[in-house]
Amino acid sequence: MLKFGIEFVPSEPYWKTLYYTIQAEKRGFDHLWITDHFNNRNVYVTLTAAATHTEKIKLGPGVTNPYLINPVMTAQSIASLNEIAPGRVVLGIGAGDKTTLESAGVEMRRPLTAVRETIEIVRGMIEGKSVTYEGKVFQAKGARFLFKPQESIPVYVGAQGPKMLKMAGNIGEGVLINACHPKDVGYAVELARKGVDEAGKNMADVDIAAYTSFSVHKDLEKANKAAVPVVAYIVAGSPSIILQRHNVDLKKAEEIREALKAAQWGQAFGAVSSRMLEAFSVCGTPDMCVDRINQLLKSGISQFVVGSPIGPNVRKSIDLISDKIIAHFKD
Amino acid sequence: MTHHKMVRSIPKENREKLSDGLVDIILKSKRGDKMPDRLAKNILNRWSQGPLTDDDSLAALLEASVLLEPEKTVESLKQKLQMVNLAKAVEQVSAKEG
Repeated sequence: MLKFGIEFVPSEPYWKTLYYTIQAEKRGFDHLWITDHFNNRNVYVTLTAAATHTEKIKLGPGVTNPYLINPVMTAQSIASLNEIAPGRVVLGIGAGDKTTLESAGVEMRRPLTAVRETIEIVRGMIEGKSVTYEGKVFQAKGARFLFKPQESIPVYVGAQGPKMLKMAGNIGEGVLINACHPKDVGYAVELARKGVDEAGKNMADVDIAAYTSFSVHKDLEKANKAAVPVVAYIVAGSPSIILQRHNVDLKKAEEIREALKAAQWGQAFGAVSSRMLEAFSVCGTPDMCVDRINQLLKSGISQFVVGSPIGPNVRKSIDLISDKIIAHFKD
Repeated sequence: MTHHKMVRSIPKENREKLSDGLVDIILKSKRGDKMPDRLAKNILNRWSQGPLTDDDSLAALLEASVLLEPEKTVESLKQKLQMVNLAKAVEQVSAKEG
């Protein structure tokens, strides 16, 4: 059965994020993903508060990165969280967001290797081992906990590029595919499948999640309007090859990029076309979203993550998703 | 008059509507930093236990709503929620404190 995840960016006061988290659990979501950017509230503080206010929902960073948090600290954070919410914790890890890392003065060095090495160190420590590791990016010399970590923690690898997708399938218990369009998701699932096959696993053993920019409202125009700012940033950050795959006008994309840099929001958002919305978000009325999710399901996903902005009114959108979308797939 | 006294007389059939309206005001508020920590924790603890429709929950929501958005709260109580008596009680307390 398709699982539903929800992503929150902890950019608002903690109690708002927690209110939505409790609501999401009550309304049938299976997974909670909290983004990790140093310029928002801390991911593990937010997750700890979420863990203490919930009972069932699985939760984890979506996604953390190896560069700002050393692997031993990631291991410590999720092992500690797993004491508060035993069996509910997952680790989402990816290479990170280049712009955010650059603003922290941190270089994204050998992303593929950095993610793989981090996972190896984290897994070793969670298994209660003393980890000595000589990696190309990370080293550890007898790193171990002075407490006994509880059970194993599934690792989800956030991936977009072909090599990372393949590796995610190969070493992850889950793959977080950062894409919305069936064309992109289908392509990504096939790459993850190669990694899964190489590891001698079955696709059924790996949770493949489409991690989407999502917006729903009964009124299509309102749903679209809420998605526009997020899509503008996605277009601005997408390489030409991705834009061309969706026949997005490269000049328009450049126009959006420049307008965002100059903080000319009206111009940037005004240049977002319906083609861009279709390519880089799942948005519309509940029925339209169900259709799109069905297409993604055929591509091979097992989890659908509703990500920012979720809708023009987050609280009402969570209720709408529960009543019209989750109910459709779970009944 | 305390917030408890104000919400005590709200009939059962109007409690969900009031709760919904107040939560909407609180979550949409751009003045979230004005939310006292004790009130935020109280509301979240109650929310994780069940719907926010009992006296204690409604009182906490009303207190938070008035603190964050006094004018919007009164306007919503009068216009959208059609709870004129409650709106008047809020206005009276605000005038005394003000």
